[in-house]
Amino acid sequence: MTGEMILQLAMALLGSFSFSLVFHLRPRLWLAASLGGLLGWGTYLLCSLYWEGVFVPTLIASGIISLYGEILARVLKAPAPVFFIPSLVPLIPGGSLYRTMSYAVRGEWTYAKVYSAQTVQSALSIAIGICLVWAFCVMATRIRRHILASRGRAEACSCAAAATVKSVKREDEKKND
Amino acid sequence: MERKKRHALLHWLLDYGEMLLGTGAEIYRVEDTLLRIGQAYGVDKVSIFVITSNIMLTLNYADGMELTQMRRINATGPTDFFKMEKLNALSRRCCREQPSLEALRQELNQLDQPIPAIWLYAGRILGAGCFAIFFGGTFLDGLVAAFFGWLICFLQRKIGDFCPNTVVFNLICSFLVSLGLSILGELVPILHTDMIMIGDIMLLIPGLGFTNALRDMLVGDTISGVSRLIDSLLGAAGLAGGVMSAMWLIGG
Repeated sequence: MTGEMILQLAMALLGSFSFSLVFHLRPRLWLAASLGGLLGWGTYLLCSLYWEGVFVPTLIASGIISLYGEILARVLKAPAPVFFIPSLVPLIPGGSLYRTMSYAVRGEWTYAKVYSAQTVQSALSIAIGICLVWAFCVMATRIRRHILASRGRAEACSCAAAATVKSVKREDEKKND
Repeated sequence: MERKKRHALLHWLLDYGEMLLGTGAEIYRVEDTLLRIGQAYGVDKVSIFVITSNIMLTLNYADGMELTQMRRINATGPTDFFKMEKLNALSRRCCREQPSLEALRQELNQLDQPIPAIWLYAGRILGAGCFAIFFGGTFLDGLVAAFFGWLICFLQRKIGDFCPNTVVFNLICSFLVSLGLSILGELVPILHTDMIMIGDIMLLIPGLGFTNALRDMLVGDTISGVSRLIDSLLGAAGLAGGVMSAMWLIGG
């Protein structure tokens, strides 16, 4: 943990906070979104110690952030993007996009190619990370529902029957109105 | 009377969908929410097709009545999580207790407000400053980036409406910022102009648009995904064009 890393983490926190302002996030959720930025960049830094390049660390960081977003969405009863979009901002490859342009203008194509590949890789890995977690969450919900349904089938049947009776009654009442 | 009510519901649903899409919600969220509200209000079958520029909605009632309308979406506003959350809560309430259509109309009108300017300014100023330092700039670089962040927000509010699209706006905005910054860098050599520029690029880069586009595609809304993807690539091209032409003008 160097001083530079601590500064980066602090700026990731503040940067995510600033984007929650731009996106008009309600003040009560500011802390959650900002901490997501800190978590994401922390994960990235940790993973980049073990893996070369930007693809895998960004992928893991974006996965962790969207998992964090999905969990908070269920706990705090808000849509998941509200949490993970501001938190993802520090992972956006602004730096490598700038370097691509600056080397391209100077005609140093070898470097420009390296940085453009890096830009595309990070952008792709952010999206892939989110999608993997999304798919996992949908599957988990369906499997849970399936298990619940098969476990209490008899119970569920009687409940459903009661619900149908109720809804029929309600419709009758509406018609009378 | 019943027919009038059903028409009012249809138009309210379209307004709601348009507003929700405008806050930056995903396509499947808009479709899913409209479906649930429709079912809560006694529609037998709700057929809905949403893409980024269009909403088509058909309500089939059990007595055989069918109502169809489409809505062209011209411009989607800036991402607004406050409105998205409020609309989400409203849809939950619709499914729970079915408020009257007049009440729903009133709530929607109340929500139809732009983001206060102070939020946008504060967020952009802080964001540009933070990301300049994040990418390796000094504190002074952060301050200069924050000033240019203010300039970007100012330009967006003053000339944003006159620009035909984000490509042109990104082109003009990044050209002006990059040019101003290069001149300032010549005058004050202790500034790291590249770090400052990266901080300001973070405000203009359509990184989230790109991410959203790929997510739409993988979720199954391929048409919207493709159109959002092209939007974001064009935005990035505008940004790159502006920055590179300013660099080239100043001389690398």
